[in-house]
Amino acid sequence: MVDIYLVGVGGQGIITASRIIGDAAILSGRNVLLSETHGMAQRGGSVVCTARIGDVHSPLIPDGRADVILSFELLETLRALPRASMKTLVVSSTERIVPLSVSTKKLRYPSIEEITAHVERAAKSFLPIDAAKIAAESGVPMSSNIVMVGALAGTGMTGLQKGEFEKAIEMSIPRKLPENKTAFARGYEITDRAL
Amino acid sequence: MDRVLDTPAGSKVLLLGNEAIARGALEAGVAVATTYPGTPASEIGDALARVAKDAGIYFEYSTNEMVAAEFAMGAAASGVRAMVSMKHVGLNVAADALMTFAYTGTRGGFVLVTADDPSCHSSQNEQDNRYYALLGGIPLLEPSNPQECYEMTKEAFEISERLELPVIVRTTTRISHVRGPVTVDRIVEGVKKKEFVKDPARFVTVPAVARVRHKVLLDRLREAEELSEESTLNRTERLGTGGSVGIITSSAAFNYAMDAAVELGLSADILKLGFSHPAPKNKISQFVRDHERIVIVEELEPILENTVRAIAQHSSLQAKVIGKADDAFPRLHEFDQAIVARGLRAALSMASEAVEETPTELQELPERPPVLCAGCPHSATYFAVNKATNKKALFASDIGCYTLGMSPPYSAADFLVCMGSSVGSAGGLAKVNDKPVIAFIGDSTFFHAGIPGLINAVHNGHRFLLMILDNRTTAMTGHQPHPGSDKGPTCCDITAVSIENVVKGCGVKWLKVVDPYDVKTTVEAVKEALEQPEVSVIIARRECALIAARDAKGAITKKHYIDQEACKKCRTCVDKFQCPAISSIDKVQTIDEALCAGCGVCAQVCPYKAIKEVE
Ligand SMILES: Cc1ncc(C[n+]2csc(CCOP(=O)(O)OP(=O)(O)O)c2C)c(N)n1
Ligand code: SF4
Repeated sequence: MVDIYLVGVGGQGIITASRIIGDAAILSGRNVLLSETHGMAQRGGSVVCTARIGDVHSPLIPDGRADVILSFELLETLRALPRASMKTLVVSSTERIVPLSVSTKKLRYPSIEEITAHVERAAKSFLPIDAAKIAAESGVPMSSNIVMVGALAGTGMTGLQKGEFEKAIEMSIPRKLPENKTAFARGYEITDRAL
Repeated sequence: MDRVLDTPAGSKVLLLGNEAIARGALEAGVAVATTYPGTPASEIGDALARVAKDAGIYFEYSTNEMVAAEFAMGAAASGVRAMVSMKHVGLNVAADALMTFAYTGTRGGFVLVTADDPSCHSSQNEQDNRYYALLGGIPLLEPSNPQECYEMTKEAFEISERLELPVIVRTTTRISHVRGPVTVDRIVEGVKKKEFVKDPARFVTVPAVARVRHKVLLDRLREAEELSEESTLNRTERLGTGGSVGIITSSAAFNYAMDAAVELGLSADILKLGFSHPAPKNKISQFVRDHERIVIVEELEPILENTVRAIAQHSSLQAKVIGKADDAFPRLHEFDQAIVARGLRAALSMASEAVEETPTELQELPERPPVLCAGCPHSATYFAVNKATNKKALFASDIGCYTLGMSPPYSAADFLVCMGSSVGSAGGLAKVNDKPVIAFIGDSTFFHAGIPGLINAVHNGHRFLLMILDNRTTAMTGHQPHPGSDKGPTCCDITAVSIENVVKGCGVKWLKVVDPYDVKTTVEAVKEALEQPEVSVIIARRECALIAARDAKGAITKKHYIDQEACKKCRTCVDKFQCPAISSIDKVQTIDEALCAGCGVCAQVCPYKAIKEVE
């Protein structure tokens, strides 16, 4: 059983990322369940998807049970921490999307140091990734989500093969496939090397 | 390659619960499918819209759920297979037709899919639509995962034809919006044309016919109960060595019950009801007899619970039945594994779980609720209305992206209960209040349920301003077409119905069409409209920013920036207007050029002309 908790902001391609994980799991002959946020929340709100690989019935991940938190946005990384335990690996894009409440209610967006400190207290380890930069360098600035899938694959935590992820990307991404594969590979290298 | 249509027989494919329903319908040889979109049901229709042409079936986005259901009824009564899908509250709209269609029954299989939304993730209530099956005397299937969505949709058509009754397939958000493996079979081309055999003594429900047909329905329900007794959709699973504890469950709750029971290391039998109405009385009665303690695990209303209690009472059974009546499980909101584990502990008098300390106290995080997009025309409209009325009006709102305007800075919603309620309630608000009343309704919602309210306002002489927020699409649910649209998916050969003509046809005398991106004109139109002695209508027309054409830089008109030297730090652009591209940090207002949609509204909002076009 591997439980992956994906978080971010509506419009960041999180559903596509979780679907790639799901397709890769099926290609490897594993069972998988994904839950997704559709509808209203997608209008720039916090979005949560879950991917559970293995034999379970419930799609939702209970508190403290995520094996990996894959976050597409730093503030959402903090919001996801109740799902973490000292066994959890947190892989997060360093992208910051400042919510309107920061401007309208004069709140503060936490600093990277504060975020790092919180994550390190709540989880086993923290891998920040500049996914937006890597996506841009790969020629697909809109594909931070594919970099993050690569980063997840590189952790080796899913038990799925690199080739299965690549095949799954081919199934879901109709345009700029070579560039997206580069984005995936670069994400993969970072976590593969770090762990 | 479309995975719903092109996945070959025998293969396993990852499908959304809703897509699995679409595939099941195609394999059942559905000839006609209709819908009105609504989360969490929308992807059933969207998948069918995508493939309808290639699959050779008829699909349409209907004006509302009532029409969608009636259309499918006409086809099914003729003898072809038909399906209609909707969100839970959609069935309130279609219920009038459905309750009596159960009397006439059907010739071709008729399946109605309703997707409920426990926890109101995207809805105005969390009603439990299983009651509609009880209310109407309609067989009910409840899948628990995508594979079952697929299988039960096929089975529903079989049951419907066998009993000549409509069948309801009921999902919830955590079934419709779960993706999982589905092993599919062959798509069958169904019968597409039939000749309706006249039989007014069955299909024309005047009182004399209805009285007779009600008895037919009750007889059919008895047959349905026999099917339910034999059905493999109602099955027992054994955890561990079984024993004296029995759990009765259905739908998403089954999944949580299975995982929670494993977590607790329970030995128990689980009776999973997939064909839950009519309930298999004998099967349940035997299950109750075989166990000392029966725990009922179901989300929302205690429907299974009341059924089981009635069966136990009727058969004078001694077993203890534990459920919501014992406060073991909540009646509110969706379940998860932890809630069900807690409920099972309480029901079975097990020691409660040691509460783990949370490792870190999280500071309060800035929240991130959904907001109107950068460039959203609704945002411009609300700014103009507030400017014109100085916030001294009452706002009857409606359902769609524009409902997001209820929050500050716009605070543009004071009353809302259902689709179309803006127009009807505005009349009542205006009658008993002295403040001016403005009703907001989206274009899709206007066609769905707004027109009778407008006719009422003209006919009975109510005085308010109706603003039709025409963004050319049904944005909230995924940009489906509506009767005002002139382009739709490949399936649909559609004709645009003019909102202006409808409004004029209703007898409205004062009508203006404005572009909300033009703030000044919109403000003036609102002021003038509010001076009219009777109902007035403004159509605020501008395409939704997510589907609008953009230039090479990604702008609808021109991208903008804030000239910091000209900026007087008055914060009008964040306190009176709202745009995700504009932020204010440490008193400095800036526009994120990447996020800017280039609508140019903020430039008109700024009193000091500090917001300028990017060259
Ligand atoms: C009876 C009913 N059916 C469907 C829905 C789902 N729903 C919510 S808003 C909406 C339509 C939104 O379209 P529109 O009025 O054009 O506003 P927009 O989102 O485009 O601003 C729908 C279909 C609902 N809430 N109630
Ligand atoms: S999707 Fe369209 S209508 Fe909805 S908030 Fe965004 S721009 Fe506005």
